[in-house]
Amino acid sequence: MSLWADAAKVATGLNVVLLAVLLAVWVRNYLQFRSKHTLGLALFCVFLLAHNAVYFYIYLVDPMLSGWFSTAVPVLVWRFLMALAVFETLGLAVLAWTTLD
Amino acid sequence: MEAVLWYVLTGTRGGPNRARILRALDARPRNANQLAEDLDLDYKTIRHHLDVLTDNDVVQKSGDDYGAVYLPSERARSNWGTVEDVLEKVE
Repeated sequence: MSLWADAAKVATGLNVVLLAVLLAVWVRNYLQFRSKHTLGLALFCVFLLAHNAVYFYIYLVDPMLSGWFSTAVPVLVWRFLMALAVFETLGLAVLAWTTLD
Repeated sequence: MEAVLWYVLTGTRGGPNRARILRALDARPRNANQLAEDLDLDYKTIRHHLDVLTDNDVVQKSGDDYGAVYLPSERARSNWGTVEDVLEKVE
């Protein structure tokens, strides 16, 4: 297993955590304010959370797929997956910073 | 400006308290100490929210001294319909 793969897995896990925190804030605010803006944020968050949860499942949970991803996926693909996951982590960290501020 | 108001007041964890602060300042300009007492919030919390609201030009400061009072900004005033929609939803 390459370093790229490890980084992608860690970043995906962090994304799930950050998105869960953001979702909690936005759902709570939506229930209070009922604004379409907060609903939009919450929806966006749900879909991105689904995306990252599916990747997390494939990378680390599913016995067959995780084995296959760890051994059969070329390094170039892992580099792309890692870059996307890490960019998302950075973006979400900034969003969490302003949202929890 | 409308998007900023929605985000600062309803898209953040501190949004509901910021909305309460804005409503109090609309009723009467106050300084951080008075806000802390009137809204029963920690002085530091009030200071932090006032900084965020000032940075986003939702409230403005009048006077530079220690006891400077805050009031809604011109920009907030010109979008007051949006502010009222938000304020309706806080206790």
